[in-house]
Amino acid sequence: MSAFYDPSVGATKSLSPANRPSSLAGKIVGLYDNTKEQADIILEAAAEDLKRRHGVKELLNFRGIHYSKPAPLETIEEMARKCDVVICALGG
Amino acid sequence: MPKADLGGTVYDAIEYFYTKPWSDGLPIVPPTEELIAAMLRGTRCDSDEELGLVPPNFERLTVRRVAEHAVMAGALPQYMPVIIGAMRAILDEKLNMHGVQTTIHGVSPLVIVNGPYGRKIGINGGRGCFSPGHRPNATIGRAVRLILYNVGGGYPSASFSCFGQPSRYTFCIRENEEDSPWEPLSVDRGFKAGENVVTVVQCENPQLTHDDANDDPERLHVATTDCMGNMGGMNAWRATDMVVALAPDIADNFAKAGYTKADVHKLLREKAGRHVGQLKQGGLWRIERLNRYVTKVDPNDDNCFVPAIQEPSRLFLIVAGGRPGATTAVLHGWNETTRGVSVAYEV
Repeated sequence: MSAFYDPSVGATKSLSPANRPSSLAGKIVGLYDNTKEQADIILEAAAEDLKRRHGVKELLNFRGIHYSKPAPLETIEEMARKCDVVICALGG
Repeated sequence: MPKADLGGTVYDAIEYFYTKPWSDGLPIVPPTEELIAAMLRGTRCDSDEELGLVPPNFERLTVRRVAEHAVMAGALPQYMPVIIGAMRAILDEKLNMHGVQTTIHGVSPLVIVNGPYGRKIGINGGRGCFSPGHRPNATIGRAVRLILYNVGGGYPSASFSCFGQPSRYTFCIRENEEDSPWEPLSVDRGFKAGENVVTVVQCENPQLTHDDANDDPERLHVATTDCMGNMGGMNAWRATDMVVALAPDIADNFAKAGYTKADVHKLLREKAGRHVGQLKQGGLWRIERLNRYVTKVDPNDDNCFVPAIQEPSRLFLIVAGGRPGATTAVLHGWNETTRGVSVAYEV
């Protein structure tokens, strides 16, 4: 049997998740609405809790174009630039 | 590209692939250099040519990587032009393969082949075209699926699809142009007659409707259009694609009644659908989505007709299957974010 090729995704695509902060106090948190129904309700509830119980410094709202499409690259870049943490809500 | 040499036999290699998420559950042909080189001789494309980024991991797909998966799928080199054409269509953003790779739904890209080359290499568009037993259909569709797994990263373990569907193993047919009374899909889509074209549409499995009792078009459409407007289908009221494949005998009955393909297309679009009063009773009806995705629907008018096909270009009408057979295959679509894509391919 001669050598064969590994058909899987290249190693360059294996990324580790970003470090999670131990506390949200004083952080800027982005809230991403994927546009599916009720996502906004989930995020509103989360926002209230984040401010009241976790001392989040600022909340920024973002919204996708359709829940079946990925977040636009410019939105991802803006979130990365402006936020310490982003929470995504998937409606239903 | 990483390379491994296990030694041992071909069976050891097959079993090794089962220890990785690289197969669809069926044995693969190990992609050795010799077999990949032979596969590449089936295309005039340069092996380094990039066809695009395969979602959701957006890994680059080159012609060489297509060849690796064509080997794994058991394809012959002469199938390469069709597989490459299908992947060009699949990677067009209009098809939204990213969404389908990650959806809870179960649709899969159906590859429909038109033109003389598909016939030459034996892609079945006739009897049993959706069935097992036809190497081009089986392996072209399988190569596409393996690419979506291994290059796109859309492995079964990463899929959210609730049920999936059997056509995720393979989903490739040819239009039965020689038994059709009309022009082929490729001509409907703006290509010249005789061009080699592949069209890809995100579809559910075929649902068969049967009618061996009618030849009057006003009755002959009923079984099919009822299925097209299925309350549980994504086409119930949302704007999405659908493929309808008429068996040659059904197409002939329409043609004998003087119907052109455009006439049948129009008839199906006019008759398939539900009234608001029916849609409200359950299923996918969601008032909050109406204004986002559909126009011309008055949710307060129970008599308002909501067509299953919201615009003509969303219905892909073909002739396929064999004789005899008073059967139509209806393949429901997904959602408004996908549009079927057609590309001419080089041989």
